[in-house]
Amino acid sequence: MIAVNHLQSYFKTEDGLVKAVDDISFELRPNEVLALVGESGCGKSVTALTVMGLLHRNKTVLKGEILFNDKSLLDLPPEAYRLIRGEKIGMIFQEPMSAFDPLYTVGYQMLEVLKAHTNLSIEKQKQRAVHWLKNVGIPEAEKRFNQYPHEMSGGMLQRVMIAMVLMLQPEVLIADEPTTALDVTIQAQVLGLIRNLQKNEGTSVLFITHDLGVVAEIADRVHVMYAGKIVEKGTVSQVFHHPLHPYTIGLLTSRVVKGKKGKELPFIRGYVPRAYEFPEGCRFHPRCPRKLPRCEHDNPPEISLETENCVACWLYEKGESA
Amino acid sequence: MILKIDKVKKYFPIKKGIFLLTAGYVRALEEVSFEISEGQTIGVVGESGCGKTTLGRVIAKVYDATSGKIFYTPHGKESNAIAQAAEIRKNTEKQIMKNYRKDVQMIFQDPYNSLDPRMTIGDILAEPLQVHGVCSSKAALNETVSQLLLKVGLYPEYASRYPHEFSGGQRQRISIARAIALHPRMIICDEPTSALDVSVQSQIINLLKDLQKEYQMAYLFISHNLDVIYHVSDWIMVMYLGNVVEIATPEALFEDPLHPYTSALMKAIPNWNPEERSLGETTLQGEPPSPIAPPSGCPFHTRCEFVMERCKTDKPRLSEIGQNRKVACHLRVQ
Repeated sequence: MIAVNHLQSYFKTEDGLVKAVDDISFELRPNEVLALVGESGCGKSVTALTVMGLLHRNKTVLKGEILFNDKSLLDLPPEAYRLIRGEKIGMIFQEPMSAFDPLYTVGYQMLEVLKAHTNLSIEKQKQRAVHWLKNVGIPEAEKRFNQYPHEMSGGMLQRVMIAMVLMLQPEVLIADEPTTALDVTIQAQVLGLIRNLQKNEGTSVLFITHDLGVVAEIADRVHVMYAGKIVEKGTVSQVFHHPLHPYTIGLLTSRVVKGKKGKELPFIRGYVPRAYEFPEGCRFHPRCPRKLPRCEHDNPPEISLETENCVACWLYEKGESA
Repeated sequence: MILKIDKVKKYFPIKKGIFLLTAGYVRALEEVSFEISEGQTIGVVGESGCGKTTLGRVIAKVYDATSGKIFYTPHGKESNAIAQAAEIRKNTEKQIMKNYRKDVQMIFQDPYNSLDPRMTIGDILAEPLQVHGVCSSKAALNETVSQLLLKVGLYPEYASRYPHEFSGGQRQRISIARAIALHPRMIICDEPTSALDVSVQSQIINLLKDLQKEYQMAYLFISHNLDVIYHVSDWIMVMYLGNVVEIATPEALFEDPLHPYTSALMKAIPNWNPEERSLGETTLQGEPPSPIAPPSGCPFHTRCEFVMERCKTDKPRLSEIGQNRKVACHLRVQ
């Protein structure tokens, strides 16, 4: 569906180029949920914005290619991009409260989308919008259609946003931390909804999150990002049961679980580096417990193992033996 | 005993019209009672709007309680706690109030907004020390600040830097240093790890635990994350819509949650095992009602799967059930 090859997104700032996303490659396959997981500043949201073509062209340097059904997206003129954005690739955002315009009813905002992308009559548009509001489990959809964003809760608005994006039946859905701002019980509802819709509609989903628990619940495959790079790729069960990269292992073990009560929690030492101060060599080496001398200078390549796993770490240079 | 909270309630009035008449109340907190002693951690867990932050702020005297009492035992008089306890209210004696403020400190959720961007780290840490006149000379003050920074795992050189130069985890360490500067007996930790990255969260929890051991501080630990609460707490209070619905030890609560809301909350936590996806089993539908017009009877009855006729009219009281355990549910308490 989408193939990203050696993508670089650099921001031009007063302090020079900020390498937010640095040479990443991945593919999103039909009918799957691919999770990009990482901590703040690892480049996961920038990746999503780049694919959507939402970055300011004059303030960024983009290299590499993004292929959508074998068509290169980065070369498209802005008008052509607009036909793909929303219609073919939809996106839902983290903060449902700020993603809507507070001055218009959600119904108006939904019709705006349909007006731009379809030639349905106004009656048909309305029917379709209300139908989708029902599809995402909103009670009293007709009434909600005429309400303003402030009259709804965060979980409800997130459902409206999902309806608004899916009513154009895009082939790809990019979900950027869609449940981070929600309470756990509401998060469970929304994740269940995304999972069901994905199955029924056959949409491919690129799911971006920092929460490994959410990844375990929803994803088929997962890519772990750190400091602008993808450090590990694999299926969910591979990554959760046999993590390879020291960063992934650190993330999984630093989870607070019951058995550790009263003991010191394991953690990854140090802090996540900021985008303008990424270290030389492997970007994880200052925090890595298994650092080799060469990690300080040489950036590890992506090493494929026999299984579907890929890992960018020198420890695995000679295969899985490490 | 440091504090005894007795039936504390907080309603925020809603003002309307040009005469600002009170049109109603946001019932943020309904009659909460508990005690907290040296070295103890009480965890408060619940979803947004359940009143957990309001509870912390009422105790920290950011807000005054609408009704109910807070009793505070001054330092050194713990042995005869109840008799010596002073009530903390609007017109409490100044000296007692000053001691109270020194003894009860707070750590906030967002390390980006809780540090003044125009003050250096040194000034931020020195401010409470100056206000309470702890250090006699400038040199002693600087020394104390350096010690504080070392204590929370930072370098003394950082004293001359500004908050924006630090990452979220480092800032939270600075907030912790500020909170322990006066050697408080209790710290209210309001979601101290929620804004942090996963790999940094555990560092901060470890630090808080170590400091607690060293200084025998009590924590009121507020969080929406049940796993974190389980790890740090001696007691857990589960809150829903301003009410405490269950109090138990972490072990008892996790093994056998008695209130339907507690078990629903636990089921909603992703369990980090791709082979055991639990989303489909989520039984909790809908959303919490508004605290402006809370439902009659049990606050949870609108979402409860075991709802009975009685729950709709009759509000269950938080009652003792078994040893050291309280629950507010008609299913459990007849």
